[in-house]
Amino acid sequence: MRLLTALLLLVVAGCGVRPSGVTEHGEAPTGVAPGVTLYFLDDAGGLRPSFRETERLGSVSEALSLLLTGPGTASGQRTGITSDTTPRVVVVTKAGLVQVVVPLALSEVTPRGIDQIVCTTLAVHVQSGGDRSTKVQVRFTQPTPESEVERTCPVIS
Amino acid sequence: MSRPAGRRWRAGLRPRLLAAFVAVTVLGAAAAAWSGAGSASAALVDSAQRRLTETVTSQIAAVTPGLTYPPGQDALELLRTAVSPNAVVTYRDLRAADGADLTTDALREAVRTGGRLVSQRIDDGDRPWLLIGTPVMITAVDGTRTPSGIEVYVARDLTPVGTEIAGMTRSAALTAALALPLAVLLALLAASSVLRPVRDLRDTARRLAAGDLDARSRPRGSDELAELTATVNEMAGSVQSSMAAMRRMQADARRFAADVSHELRTPLSTLTAVVEVLSMTADRMEPDARESARLAITETQRLVTLVEDLMEVSRFDAGTAELRLEDVDVPTAVRQCLRARSWLGRVELRTPPALVARLDRRRLDVVVANLVGNALRHGAPPVRVTVTGTGHEVRIEVADHGPGIPERVLPHVFDRFYKADAARTRTPGSGLGLAIALENARLHGGDITAANRPSGGARFLLRLPGEGDG
Repeated sequence: MRLLTALLLLVVAGCGVRPSGVTEHGEAPTGVAPGVTLYFLDDAGGLRPSFRETERLGSVSEALSLLLTGPGTASGQRTGITSDTTPRVVVVTKAGLVQVVVPLALSEVTPRGIDQIVCTTLAVHVQSGGDRSTKVQVRFTQPTPESEVERTCPVIS
Repeated sequence: MSRPAGRRWRAGLRPRLLAAFVAVTVLGAAAAAWSGAGSASAALVDSAQRRLTETVTSQIAAVTPGLTYPPGQDALELLRTAVSPNAVVTYRDLRAADGADLTTDALREAVRTGGRLVSQRIDDGDRPWLLIGTPVMITAVDGTRTPSGIEVYVARDLTPVGTEIAGMTRSAALTAALALPLAVLLALLAASSVLRPVRDLRDTARRLAAGDLDARSRPRGSDELAELTATVNEMAGSVQSSMAAMRRMQADARRFAADVSHELRTPLSTLTAVVEVLSMTADRMEPDARESARLAITETQRLVTLVEDLMEVSRFDAGTAELRLEDVDVPTAVRQCLRARSWLGRVELRTPPALVARLDRRRLDVVVANLVGNALRHGAPPVRVTVTGTGHEVRIEVADHGPGIPERVLPHVFDRFYKADAARTRTPGSGLGLAIALENARLHGGDITAANRPSGGARFLLRLPGEGDG
């Protein structure tokens, strides 16, 4: 009888939630940053990261709005995107793909301008914990095959 | 539990079988329940942990892009709100907290050095907790991660998981317990299938021992017990046949003795008549012839005694001896017996004044005559006969002062034709006297015992039941 009781106790004790040591559970969350990185063009037409001290990383949409607003006149930087008064961007994130719907027609953006959008999007995506191999699809207001292309940033990855 | 009770409990085959069955079943069921419940609970805890850490990770990740960096107190409060309750958010000297801070040093150390999300289960004595700790990282554009200095510690109550596990354990234990009556039932079935043949065998052996040689058990099946049963049956059969053969031989021998003695009677009576004539004329014979005639007369008388004794024994053996009970005054009967044989002068008789019992007068006479005659022949005087009554039996003790009965002979004094001394074969007795005396006593329901007195001499004690008083 004593043996039985001991056995039962063992069974019951073996099945509860027992304290444990410290165990790892993967990557820590990320996403804090003192500012956001935008991509503009230098005089030679090369992509140049431009750090903006916004005190926070912010969303892809906010970063793209800043990008569409332009580099400012005194920065010595240029942009390949026609300035727009309502720089609102819709961002849809899917598995391995970020879709950005820009309020622009393909004609308003140079190929380098598209790279600017892709790189800025990807930079924010990576900084907020996203995968660097994520593709970016830039969708324009007018139907065009370019809207379907999944792009990568030439200076990231 | 006291010791004798414990021994009794262990003694039976059935309790032992039962205990073994139950022990095996309980052990098996407990082991199965333990391992099943153990792995299930581990999986349960694991999935709960993963769910909780993933939730915390996504809660943090949801607000971090909006946090100012370096963070102020309000930013920390914002982060704390996102992961509350029981959350602590620190950044250098800043700290935002709500609920209990259960964070262990080991966890804090792991968060500071590892740069990864870690967790630890603890029990604060009241309930189980899952502690989750993580630094918040800054990821550069090129993917390199550096600690931001913000650390988040969260405690999550694991009581629901514990409850779930307890419920699971209970049901596992219940299932194991359900196996118990089944085990008992199986054990009882197995025990009875083993014990029934054993019990049958025991009953058969008991009947055999009690003399019922027809007793047999029916072997069932073809196991070892059936073999044993068959062997016991065989044994009983052979014992029965040899017993039957022995009885037949015994009966033959007895009938032969009876027939012989009967056949001898007629010629012997003729011989007796002749010898009587011879004894009347012996005095006038020549001395040599007279001696021979005397010898013939003595031997003939012995032969008559022997044949009469043989016939008496035969009657006992055949079971035809009859007991004629009447009220007998034992002292008077004993005195008459001694007087008739002219032994009164040689025997010291001690009797109560009167002692009446229901006995067969003739047989009492035979017994007393045999015992006293034996004492006079083999013992030494004085021979003492003591009659006593104890209320429910009559005792007649015959004691002499001779050398006593040798130890070797003592068990055989009542055997037929047993000669104490092989060399001294020619004694006046027939060799049947004590045997006949014993048979007579037994016919009364009594007994005779022979023993040596400590002071020397043999002592025969005749005990006869009867309402003797005095």
